[in-house]
Amino acid sequence: MPKLMNRFLLISILSLHVFSCKSYQIPDAELVSKQVESIENKYFSNLETDYIYKAQISVYDNNLSGIFIAKRINPTTHRVALTTDFGNTLFDFEIAENSFKVNYVIPDLNNPFIKSTLKKDFRLLLKNNFKIDNQLKTKDYDVYKSKKEFIFVNQNNSIQKITTSSGSKEKRTIVFDAKNTTFAENITITHYNIPLEIKLSQITNTN
Amino acid sequence: MKINFLYIFLLITFFTFAQEQKMSDAEIISFKKNVEKESKNTQTLKTDFVQYKHMDFLSKDIESSGKMAFKSPNMLLWHYLKPYNYSVIFKNSKIYINDQGQKSTVDAKSKMFEKMNKMIVGSVSGNMFDDKEFTISYFKTKDFYIAKFVPKTSTLKKYIKQVELYFSNQNYSVSQVKLIEPSADYTKIIFKNKVENAKIDESVFTN
Repeated sequence: MPKLMNRFLLISILSLHVFSCKSYQIPDAELVSKQVESIENKYFSNLETDYIYKAQISVYDNNLSGIFIAKRINPTTHRVALTTDFGNTLFDFEIAENSFKVNYVIPDLNNPFIKSTLKKDFRLLLKNNFKIDNQLKTKDYDVYKSKKEFIFVNQNNSIQKITTSSGSKEKRTIVFDAKNTTFAENITITHYNIPLEIKLSQITNTN
Repeated sequence: MKINFLYIFLLITFFTFAQEQKMSDAEIISFKKNVEKESKNTQTLKTDFVQYKHMDFLSKDIESSGKMAFKSPNMLLWHYLKPYNYSVIFKNSKIYINDQGQKSTVDAKSKMFEKMNKMIVGSVSGNMFDDKEFTISYFKTKDFYIAKFVPKTSTLKKYIKQVELYFSNQNYSVSQVKLIEPSADYTKIIFKNKVENAKIDESVFTN
């Protein structure tokens, strides 16, 4: 009996492991041959442009509004800041693929979980180049898989959505509403594991 | 040789007049008296404002503008019109926000909020000479009297490095506010078309 129990337990554990390793599947997507080696995200790529957005952040039951600022300061690094509408800086980071520097963060946001979440969100938002592993196709999109990210490119050849997966589920999605291929008018970052959503609307700086 | 000396003399004279000069003790007493008198005589204030947010890494300051209304002793409306519609009302220890139609209320009973509220209302009305909270120094230029406030408490120092109030030397009312952050980035607000003691209905202070 103990041998049978052990075997049963082992099979259960292995089955659980196999099922939990199942990766995220895009509905109605078919695998096609890879046509490109990399995809470029041009939305935050210009070194001369100040990217200024009105930000609305909802987290748990709280709403926060302010101004989101991003600027590519060199080929590998973006400077990202959020201020209140009055101009008080809430955070000011420098983000690259392999580094994260905090220039300033108000005490209320100086929490490892908050900083880590924001770092991952903005690193994905600002990432300029994705190396492609696989390519898929749906009715409306060409979909490029890069590690755990899925980049959805619409029929206008613009990136419309980027999804990060964790196991078999979506973890985070960034949707770009863009008539302009280099400066998206509206951006929404949605989380599926925590109640956090960030909405950005482009501001025209009149100065 | 003569021309060079003259040129240097003129340059020095120019810079002396353009620079700030410290006020004497007698001038400080007179200045504070006049500001207090002006503040006591001001029951209401209506003004347009232009706000510039300066961050070193941006190619130009972020500009916003709108209208402000103040009713003594501490009701304040701050209404941004450009580049987006956003209003904040400080009233009865609460902050009422209307963010492009989305309304919310923040209970401003925390000590930090009370201090910020007092500082904002104080900076608008010129009534900010609280020696307990700030180390204050006084300067003058051709056009302005300038009071510079450095926070004394470590809590406030985490948010603000210095507040500068520029008073018109014609009528002792605040014409500019400069809020300098610990990073040395700053927000500058310039008041224009000020109207004192016009009738302002209390309904103005509702969102």
